[in-house]
Amino acid sequence: MEYLSTGKILVIDLATSKIEETALDESLVSEKIGGAGITKHLCEKYLNDDPIVIGTGLLTGTTCPASAGGLITAKSPVTGKLCHCPIIYKVGIEIKFSGYDYIVVKGVSDNPVYLWIHDGVADISDASGIWGKDVWESTDSLRKLMGDDLIQTMVIGKAGENRSDYAQICYNYWSSPDRFGLGKLFGSKKLKGLAFRGMGLIEVADHENFVRRSLEILKEIKTNDFMTKKGIAEIASAIGEAGIKEWLEPIVHRHSADYFTPYATNTAVFFDEDPKRVEESKVAEPGVLISDVPALLAFKKLGLSAEDTGRALKACAKYGIDPAAVAGLSGKSSLKEIVDSFDGLSGTVALKGKGIFSPWCPLKPIFNDFGLSGDAAEAEAWWERRQAVAMIFGIQPIFSVMCPELSEENMLELAGIGTELDLTQEILDKVVADLLK
Amino acid sequence: MGIKIDALKCINCMACEMACSYHRDDGFAFLSACIVVYRAREKQDYFGVLLKEEEFLKVARPEGLEVNRIGEAADPNKKADASVKPMLLREGCDLCEDMDDYGPMCKAICPADAITLE
Ligand code: SF4
Ligand code: SF4
Repeated sequence: MEYLSTGKILVIDLATSKIEETALDESLVSEKIGGAGITKHLCEKYLNDDPIVIGTGLLTGTTCPASAGGLITAKSPVTGKLCHCPIIYKVGIEIKFSGYDYIVVKGVSDNPVYLWIHDGVADISDASGIWGKDVWESTDSLRKLMGDDLIQTMVIGKAGENRSDYAQICYNYWSSPDRFGLGKLFGSKKLKGLAFRGMGLIEVADHENFVRRSLEILKEIKTNDFMTKKGIAEIASAIGEAGIKEWLEPIVHRHSADYFTPYATNTAVFFDEDPKRVEESKVAEPGVLISDVPALLAFKKLGLSAEDTGRALKACAKYGIDPAAVAGLSGKSSLKEIVDSFDGLSGTVALKGKGIFSPWCPLKPIFNDFGLSGDAAEAEAWWERRQAVAMIFGIQPIFSVMCPELSEENMLELAGIGTELDLTQEILDKVVADLLK
Repeated sequence: MGIKIDALKCINCMACEMACSYHRDDGFAFLSACIVVYRAREKQDYFGVLLKEEEFLKVARPEGLEVNRIGEAADPNKKADASVKPMLLREGCDLCEDMDDYGPMCKAICPADAITLE
């Protein structure tokens, strides 16, 4: 596969330490398009080796607006179902630019390891020096070890090492959309994490047309009222949570976006530094970055102050535990009790819909109504299709439920211009139907 | 004429970096960008934009613009960013003079309108 792609699939066997590279065939892209279409195919291909497949969408890391996304596909150790966990922030693009479209991790390692994937090279490295460290310490250690602060990581903390059902794979320092206990899967494979860095070049079949259409779509997107807004509280407010903006505002530092995502879906809050400080903080860890709307709302509903919610979210991110599960299952309502509950957490978190996409992304349209009638079943089916399509092309999932201009038609058009493949609505419908089976 | 960046409007999305590299490489990469988001102080949530011009390295920080003449020592009170080093080896901003349809690509792509031409 020559275009919009590195053309390479990496297969890593933790049991034998064998690393193989295979080509991403154009025929597979013609049939499955990319992202979840191909990660699911690879999971089925390596089914007997308990695979985790990490991948990017066909449009990830391009000039297509919101093309930030990647995904982790695996059988959830909690639900037993194949699930697709979004990769957000700037981690998805770093995977593609590190030289691989898809990474299959199979087998179980005897000893703790991490994978270092950089500029088309992959290494399995001894993780004994970071096993036992929390998520923040692990990312700091990996960046220090490689001497590059821009390395993007996926790591587990204590929750994953202890094989908690609520363990998350975290990205860099932050909580992730992992509601599937995939951190437990890393822990059971003795896989502490992955580190990515790369300076690759992605070729485009007709780059002039691709960029022209991307900028036209961006122009349409910029006519939305949401372009005057930023941050997580506006999202929560738009889906009906009254008072959230006033509650969070005193600790808001800044808002930031995933790669080329026109709406800043992430909000950093400071509680160990003046949130209004514009110069670089001298405090090493002044706060936390929040991307999880349901978790934020769940802590608020427990009666926590915004500051204590920030502290709880930071503790969850360090421990590598799903903050929504902690808020929903701990039964506690003070910060100390909540943090003390991590190890003893029990119970089941019900996933919405088919349980294959993460309800980290709100299950309602945000800022736009997408022509939905208000019927709950219709909204759920719309949300699942939107998630499936976002995961195929590599679109930031939250942005995909706020932006009608990122239509299936537009994504297919860009994918066609970028690859010169005849990617039709029928093919997309087939891939989506297979994902939702 | 030159590029002006409002670091407080910036949402740290890296699109300008991609667009700038694209105008030199005709593909998608971050290899040749002379506009780069500095984002290494992630835990401090401190980010802004670096621009390499022929003679100057401009650092659009949230607290204001810093202009350094290339070759002269930078302010020792400001920590260098990992993004600076490779920037010095790259070509400076040419205002995308070859991009007839768009003008400056970084300006055309910035979703937050943080980049203007002055
Ligand atoms: S005007 Fe063009 S060359 Fe200059 S920084 Fe912007 S994209 Fe790069
Ligand atoms: S494109 Fe605009 S918002 Fe995005 S990083 Fe560049 S200056 Fe900031």
